[in-house]
Amino acid sequence: MGSTGLAAMLGDMRAAFAAGDFLQAIGTPLMIAIACLLLYLAIVKKFEPLLLLPIAFGMLLTNMPMFKGSSAIMMHTEFFTNPEYMLDGSHIDIQRVVSEGGLLDLLYLGVKLGIYPPLIFVGIGCMTDFGPLIANPKSILLGAAAQFGVFFTFLGALVLSALVPAISFGVKEAASIGIIGGADGPTAIYVTKTLAPALLPAIAIAAYSYMALIPVIQPPIMKALTTKKQRQIVMEQLRPVSKTEKILFPIIVTIVVAFIIPDAVALVGCLMLGNLLKESGVADRLSKTAQNGLMNVITIFLGVTVGATATAESFLNPQTLGIIVLGLIAFCFSTAGGLLLGDLMCVLTKGKVNPLIGSAGVSAVPMAARVSQMVGQKENPSNFLLMHAMGPNVAGVIGSAVAAGVFLSLFS
Amino acid sequence: MNLADALGEGLQVTVLGLSIVFAVLVILMIVLYLFRVIFYKDPKKQTENVNEAKQIGMRYMTGGAEATYTTDKNHNEPYEPDDIPEEELVAILTAAVAASLNTSTYNLRIKSYKRVGGLSSAWNRAGVNETINNRF
Repeated sequence: MGSTGLAAMLGDMRAAFAAGDFLQAIGTPLMIAIACLLLYLAIVKKFEPLLLLPIAFGMLLTNMPMFKGSSAIMMHTEFFTNPEYMLDGSHIDIQRVVSEGGLLDLLYLGVKLGIYPPLIFVGIGCMTDFGPLIANPKSILLGAAAQFGVFFTFLGALVLSALVPAISFGVKEAASIGIIGGADGPTAIYVTKTLAPALLPAIAIAAYSYMALIPVIQPPIMKALTTKKQRQIVMEQLRPVSKTEKILFPIIVTIVVAFIIPDAVALVGCLMLGNLLKESGVADRLSKTAQNGLMNVITIFLGVTVGATATAESFLNPQTLGIIVLGLIAFCFSTAGGLLLGDLMCVLTKGKVNPLIGSAGVSAVPMAARVSQMVGQKENPSNFLLMHAMGPNVAGVIGSAVAAGVFLSLFS
Repeated sequence: MNLADALGEGLQVTVLGLSIVFAVLVILMIVLYLFRVIFYKDPKKQTENVNEAKQIGMRYMTGGAEATYTTDKNHNEPYEPDDIPEEELVAILTAAVAASLNTSTYNLRIKSYKRVGGLSSAWNRAGVNETINNRF
């Protein structure tokens, strides 16, 4: 009886009560409850289940009560965040992780070393059609405007930590929180693992939860910032795009981005590699593997290990609440940024651009474009905005990766 | 970090960051406009050229006589509801209403009908909607 998980949990609770830390005393059962709630949202409500389910289960696994030093512990977050366990207080002790770590520790190296997010981008690249963007080049600006929320939230996080004593976000943490507004899970993880590893679970969960909630969050903002007449605008059909253009696009984007902001190349380069595998037509097998097998394997590893970093100590604190609130602000302002530029384009083109496609500038592909389509079709059932919205949508992926590159080059 | 420092640093990074994001994407936009100039040939111009060639050909074949060649408008223009004879349309509508009400066409009389929701047909729209819902 003395060696069961229940005994371990009760022992921890008693110790935390004795130390007067009430939140940590109920930490394990509370985290198990949160994990179960996320599992419910993933399975029953179908909120981004492909990612939320592994994240929630990773969270459940890491919060199973264990005795300190037990060989059954699958994840030791202290190996990656606690300076006592690291080399020179800042570098991961890989030798220790390999010899003492559990399964999830080993898999987490892929996150910590920045391997998984770019590989996921290869798969996303294989599934992305840049045709609508090539056909309508000005829609790329909407993808840039939607990064407004990222930087606004960066500012907001710094101001919040200056005003609220319980919250202390430095520039690195503020940048990691801001990038939630990019609505791009792998990018958010890539930035956070470099700049603020301790905030990784809260930021990853906030980013993916808000992406899943896009159909709930965006429509009220879209309606508030556009008129009924604007929402009814039917846009001109897009021009056909040749194969040569589709092949040249990923190559040129990689070169341009690398020349200006080299820190964004890991993400943008992998995205474009995937896209070139698809568009070239000569690497069909690789393209199919990258968008199916490879991406699914990485998604499982990424989801479970990110969820496993959400221990009671790292998750249950005022900062998590701050991240969740700021993440929502980031999302809303990114949506608004895209819509406002959409409004401007609508005025400048004398009503040829439907501003609803601006909200798709946040990069959650293809949910954000679907929301533009849905809201547009409510106003005018014979209007199909989807392909027009895909332009800003894929531009948003490039935009948020560039924004991530800016943060990494400034603060890492 | 006090409030003034936070605002100062935050604004500086915001302006710099947004400028870089816009700079990169504006450069890409210019590249894409160049793509359009280099690789894209406007089909309208091409169609005009083809039509012109066809008309010249027709003149040649008719020995220089006045050509009466006209292009088929329906290929380029949206579907026009007037194309279906009214009697047929009324018969189709009656049958559709009868089927949905589970009754006979003899019990129905169409007094008037009005097209709603633009020019594309409801079947067409339903098809596109289904594709969007399944694929995206």
